[in-house]
Amino acid sequence: MNISFSRTSKTLIAVTPVLIWLFAMPQTQAYPQFQEFSEKNSGRNVNCAMCHVNGDGPTGDGKGQIGGLTKEELDSLMKARSALAPGTLVDSPILNKFGNEIIKDIGKRKFLELRQNPKDLAKALPAQSDLDQDGISDGQEYLDGTDPLNPEHGDPLKLLMANLNKYRLHVILTFIAVMTLNWGIMQFLKGLEILTKPRQIPKA
Amino acid sequence: MTRDNSGISKTASALSFIADRFPLEKMNLEHMLAHKEVPVHKMSWGYYTGGMTMFFFMIQVITGLFLLFYYQPTVSDANLSVEYITKYVSVGGLIRNMHAWSASGMIFFAVVHLITAFAMKSFEKPRELTWIMGVLLLIITFTFGFTGYLLPWNQIAVNATKVGLQSVEDIGQYLPGMLHDVPRILRETFQGEASVGQSTLGRFYALHVVLLPLALAGLLGIHLLQVQVHGMSQGVDEKPKKQERFFPVFLFKDLTLWGVLFFILFTFSLCIPFESFLPFPLLAPYDAMGATPPGIKPEWYFFFVYYPLELLPFWVILLASGLIGAVLIFTPWIFKGSSRKTLGFIATAVSLYLLIMTLFGEQIYHLLKH
Repeated sequence: MNISFSRTSKTLIAVTPVLIWLFAMPQTQAYPQFQEFSEKNSGRNVNCAMCHVNGDGPTGDGKGQIGGLTKEELDSLMKARSALAPGTLVDSPILNKFGNEIIKDIGKRKFLELRQNPKDLAKALPAQSDLDQDGISDGQEYLDGTDPLNPEHGDPLKLLMANLNKYRLHVILTFIAVMTLNWGIMQFLKGLEILTKPRQIPKA
Repeated sequence: MTRDNSGISKTASALSFIADRFPLEKMNLEHMLAHKEVPVHKMSWGYYTGGMTMFFFMIQVITGLFLLFYYQPTVSDANLSVEYITKYVSVGGLIRNMHAWSASGMIFFAVVHLITAFAMKSFEKPRELTWIMGVLLLIITFTFGFTGYLLPWNQIAVNATKVGLQSVEDIGQYLPGMLHDVPRILRETFQGEASVGQSTLGRFYALHVVLLPLALAGLLGIHLLQVQVHGMSQGVDEKPKKQERFFPVFLFKDLTLWGVLFFILFTFSLCIPFESFLPFPLLAPYDAMGATPPGIKPEWYFFFVYYPLELLPFWVILLASGLIGAVLIFTPWIFKGSSRKTLGFIATAVSLYLLIMTLFGEQIYHLLKH
């Protein structure tokens, strides 16, 4: 029996194993070294949502994942990937505000170098950078394993100190209000007591 | 004839039991306010714990009413509405934090109140019903925590509720005969569909904002009436040398303490968002198609049962919970003849267990598991 294949079929047969290998690859996280360090250092669970749009990472076809990007978004992605030096404004559709800020602040080249020593990412970021303005710098939030884009999320003790400083007037005014109200209630109760006391009839 | 006599005597003793616990002659403002006195001794601080629990309950009601204006109990909008409250509603974040912090405060002080009442032997005749009402109130308070946990509809909320409801169903395998199916029926009733979904959210919401508050208000009313009618228990073995008037002296001290608590609650709610204690991936909106994220666990006030549950066979925890529940309900009769010294020792041991499991449960779990 003589079986012959067309040229297209031969190409397909050759390419199929490569395609199967490509699609069967486990979902990869972009640079897991940073996530692993943040988790280990903080003792908190951290996922890709710290820097990426999608919590499951950039691979896939969901929201903020490479497989689901439009042509324009792919262009933005390529532009962001070529921002090797710091100072370039990037708008990668797979990164969130923090991820884009990292690339803008230190550049892609330095970022890739830091994979060897992920702890230094915190030092490499500008100390004054605080995207969610919760009083804890982005670098510190990376070390603490907290969300750098959510002002409601951070190390509880650091948030307490930062917010006490931020809202000290509110705290002082509340203290005065509580004390004043308490004084008022005390006077009210005293008055009630006097009013409800049985009156003594003066002796003739 | 004998049966009739015995029936009459049983009815009479039941009526007498109720009359002793609800003495009509004492149910007037004069008795409950003007003549009521509070003993002064080394355990006097225990008399304030009930008031502190009630304070946090009142904060729960007030902040809960504010949250009702914006919260949407649907799987599509629940998480978004919570986000909207936190980010865009004026002082919404503060109100939500006050609700969460005061829920924890209410549970903490309810447990402290129960333990101190036990150590002070406040369940003695005629206060048996006051004690039982208190135990039921504590159970309702924990149920408030469980039902409220689901409402933000985030990863930890839904996954922890799934685990909790599954645990309810698992009880069935250890129950005999007709009781075998009861936990499954209960789980199905509260879940409302094949998995935790819209029906579950709707039912938990109804429980959290209507049924449980009504039940709590009713029981709390009876509990407080009993406390006012019977007065404060002696609390210590020897008769206290000093007494202070409830009105206005004790009431004023109580209200001052409420003021201090309010200030602490306000400062904490303003400065430490309650969710900052959780890993941020667990706060993401629940994704039915996604995998269960790591780190799912219940609120801190369930750690005393959660970590033992992770370490020991389920039936051991079930048996222990059943026994503890029965002992709590029948405490007035089981510990009728116990001295306050014995009760104090038990209360200290229980407090230590709760403290250690709550603070170091996770470390103990890792130490024993690995």
